[in-house]
Amino acid sequence: MSSYTETCKQRNPLGRRNYLYLTLVMAITDFKIKYDNSVLGYFWSLLKPLLMFGTLYLVFSVFVRWEVENYKLYLLLGIILWNFLSEVTLNSMVLLEGKASILKKIYFPRWIIVIASSLTSLLTLLLNIGVFFIFFVFSGAHFQSSSLYLIIYLAELYVFVVGLALLLCSLFPKFRDIHHIWEVFVQLGFWATPIVYPISIVPKKYHTLIFLNPAARIIQGCRQALIGPGSEFLSFTNHIIIISVVVCLFAVGLGMFNRLSRSFAEEL
Amino acid sequence: MITLEEVNKIFLLPHNRKTTLRQRFVSLLQKNVYEELYALRDINLRVDEGEFLGIIGKNGAGKSTLLKLVAKVLEPTSGTISVNGDIAPFLELGVGFQGDLTVKDNIFLYGALLGRSRNEIADKYDWLIDFSGLERFVDAKLKNLSSGMQVRLGFSITVSIESPILLVDEVLAVGDIDFQQKCYNIFETFKKDGRTIVFVSHDLGAIERFCDRVVLLENGQIKAQGERGLVIAEYLANTKPTKILCE
Repeated sequence: MSSYTETCKQRNPLGRRNYLYLTLVMAITDFKIKYDNSVLGYFWSLLKPLLMFGTLYLVFSVFVRWEVENYKLYLLLGIILWNFLSEVTLNSMVLLEGKASILKKIYFPRWIIVIASSLTSLLTLLLNIGVFFIFFVFSGAHFQSSSLYLIIYLAELYVFVVGLALLLCSLFPKFRDIHHIWEVFVQLGFWATPIVYPISIVPKKYHTLIFLNPAARIIQGCRQALIGPGSEFLSFTNHIIIISVVVCLFAVGLGMFNRLSRSFAEEL
Repeated sequence: MITLEEVNKIFLLPHNRKTTLRQRFVSLLQKNVYEELYALRDINLRVDEGEFLGIIGKNGAGKSTLLKLVAKVLEPTSGTISVNGDIAPFLELGVGFQGDLTVKDNIFLYGALLGRSRNEIADKYDWLIDFSGLERFVDAKLKNLSSGMQVRLGFSITVSIESPILLVDEVLAVGDIDFQQKCYNIFETFKKDGRTIVFVSHDLGAIERFCDRVVLLENGQIKAQGERGLVIAEYLANTKPTKILCE
């Protein structure tokens, strides 16, 4: 054991901690545990949005018909992106509660839990987008140069969602029912955002209200980048609006989380 | 080195604890009644580098709270705590373990929780498996191990992470006699290595054997500190002698 003095002091002279690895391990463990115990394994993470898509597609292409070009792709992309938002925000609270026993005994920055949870869902999102591209190719759509905007939108979405998750998690130990309240909000938001229906059926005067939600702007932007039609959401102003809202939210979320997470060990 | 200056820790014990918005809403008109519990009061303490400090006291005297404050798990209500160097907390062993993962996966997970990188853990892996005596079980799921084995694993990982400061909270009580012996040997080497150790125990024999200095806590305050013999004597003097009935 006297190797302590020799090897370890050289490698890690200050005993500095490596939180990057912890974040990754936590995300991977979470993913393993979440899907390992079910027969279909992590195919569930792909199937969930697909099943939802199947149901909604059936209802809205057979019973109700929107005048939307490529409605299949339009709907699927919307569901996948919204699903990411709902998964990260809700799961981060669940994960925080699940890690309560560890938080009470070992110190590590608490935001790691939120980031780890977001990475797990990010992996699901990327897999889902892979599935989307399979649909995309088979439905005969073509890539344009504007498709690359997708990456920017995804980055904006990620920051937005992590900001939301930080905000919710910082309040969660004190107000446990925020999880239920947020579940309702996510449902409401799903219908208050043009995911299933085209924005054209909404009266013009409500558009400002709908597009207060950066997620609505991001989803519309992703659609226009990949399948069109139109390009008003690909504009520079749209990015400026999204980024300023998202960055403000993230700053508030992080600030609150840093303040309130100090007493997590007592409250959870 | 660890320094605590004027540290207070108050736990608020609500008479009816509200953890949801609904409860808060319902009881908006009621006044919150809290009882203040001083878990620690006016603690001034300094642990020098390379010192082996023992902390003794009755249940509820604040020993574990003190360790948690040093480990940064809890925030002090007032006062400052400064710690110079990385800490290995032996507060509760194997607290982050996942029963559904293999022993090997758990080693990396727990090592990561203690702030170590993959390479650092991999370097220590063989030593750690050998020390814990779990060679045959590396690929078994953790939930299939006995609780004693799990604690042994937790202890081995925490020992292997090579921190300059160790916080030990009554963990030796668990293992079997061989393992306890191993642990004591490890502590001897740590002492020689010049690591700083804060050791909470009810085992006065172990305290007497290792500690340079002993602190006696009573109701959240430092009742006595200094040379181990004197402090232990004071602790024993304050304990009501119970007559053990023989035959």
